[in-house]
Amino acid sequence: MDKEDKVEWIKCKNCGYLQHSSHRRCLNCKNQSFKTILAQGHCTLLTYTILNAPPMEFRDRKSYALGVVKFDNGIRALGQITTQEELKIGMKLDTTHIKICDNLDGREVFANVFKPIE
Amino acid sequence: MNKVAIIGVGHTKFGRLKDKDLLDLLCDASLEAIEDSNTSDKDFDSVYVGAMCPGEFNHMTGVASALVDRISLIPAAADHIKNGPASGGSAVKAGFQAIASGMDDLVLVVGGEKMTHITTPGYVTSTVATVTHHEAERPHGISLPGYAGLLTRVYLEKYNAELDWLSDIAIKNHRNASFNPIAHFQRTIQDFMESAINKGRGNWDNIYDYLNDDKTNPVIADPLRLFHICPISDGAVALVLCNAQVAKKYCDTPVLISGIGQATDRHIVYEREDITILNALKTSSEQAYKLAKKTPSDIDVAELHDAFEILEAVESEDIGFFKKGEGAKAAHEGLTEIDGKIPINPSGGLKARGHPLGATGVAQVAELVWQIRGEAGKRQVQDANTGITCNFGGFGNNIVSILVERM
Repeated sequence: MDKEDKVEWIKCKNCGYLQHSSHRRCLNCKNQSFKTILAQGHCTLLTYTILNAPPMEFRDRKSYALGVVKFDNGIRALGQITTQEELKIGMKLDTTHIKICDNLDGREVFANVFKPIE
Repeated sequence: MNKVAIIGVGHTKFGRLKDKDLLDLLCDASLEAIEDSNTSDKDFDSVYVGAMCPGEFNHMTGVASALVDRISLIPAAADHIKNGPASGGSAVKAGFQAIASGMDDLVLVVGGEKMTHITTPGYVTSTVATVTHHEAERPHGISLPGYAGLLTRVYLEKYNAELDWLSDIAIKNHRNASFNPIAHFQRTIQDFMESAINKGRGNWDNIYDYLNDDKTNPVIADPLRLFHICPISDGAVALVLCNAQVAKKYCDTPVLISGIGQATDRHIVYEREDITILNALKTSSEQAYKLAKKTPSDIDVAELHDAFEILEAVESEDIGFFKKGEGAKAAHEGLTEIDGKIPINPSGGLKARGHPLGATGVAQVAELVWQIRGEAGKRQVQDANTGITCNFGGFGNNIVSILVERM
């Protein structure tokens, strides 16, 4: 797996607060040094929707499912789900990295998506 | 701090306004507000224009500068205020601060958007979705309706609520808008159903059957259907503000802006510990109540930001009217009707008055002014002396609350 395949958050070296890696300062204590934490284990579906009116980047798709998940070590993520059938809050999912669309400038967009565990 | 009064209101019709461009709408609302406030011969100190996407939708920037030129308010200071769908609320706040600080004496606040001319599929959805987090959210194909769907599913499960209760909010708001001459949809959902029956599109035993039919009310962001989601609209609204000490020189029934608040929350919605709680609304409304020395029980009427009907339910809780998880049920039980315990969205709300993005925060205040003046016609709330708004920016990450009362 290359780096992009991984769901990573950051943990504050001062207070231990866990947050998305885009934050420059700790949301809890404003500290600026962090340790990278990778998502571990399966993830649990916290909520989902099936979007039938996609934004224009996804113009080739009639609809897709989106979910918010929480990994065993507390990291959360948003992503598409590989199926629209038999989704249920609390179900366990695996992560996979696939192309999800061609951007408006023609660039391929890859992202982590979630797949029900067989 | 000076007390701030609203002495004039101007409001274009909301809807699909083919013959007007954005500046026409801003001018129409402004001139009506100036006339309403008897300030036609006055110079204004400043003008604040709330508009979310004039660059993206109308290929137009500098809208505030353009407006003062068209309506002869030069050399008034002119600022374009952008805060997503809460641009209107932020513009009211900027005007409030100008008067409260003593820097300005007479201020025009305008909110407007022109968006129904856009025909490219997904363009409006994509443009509005640019308020979401550009790394953690947007690349995955999330939209604001998508987030509303995610929130709805959690809310219904966690609080044992029913989707039909959200439909009840839409039914109420359409009924209220049927009494509002500036509303985008001046039709009840019953009217929509009867019209569909007359056109031979189907037959339904009752309004819930109609609303749960995939053909007439398609699922947009499961479980939310079309009638749980506001339209896009064109329109503009303006207010004239002045120091409350001189308000009665201009106007017999000035309305005081006695409280105002604004707060932010996590940009990444799924980072919030509980997505059913709007922390930014809790904080902003607490600020507004504190400044006005009021509590939720003092409120006679509210205008909340029901871009999606789930939001009206959640906001009615976090603004302090109902316990957490009881907002949808309260609407279902009729507590938020015009003659209910706490009337919400007598205007018809975003759902049926319409939602020209930047106009909405100003329109909410305009409706409360009409309610307090007793000018709301068949949608008049009895004894409306005090009202509050919630103008929701992003997906709840930047919220403005404005509290107004009779002077």
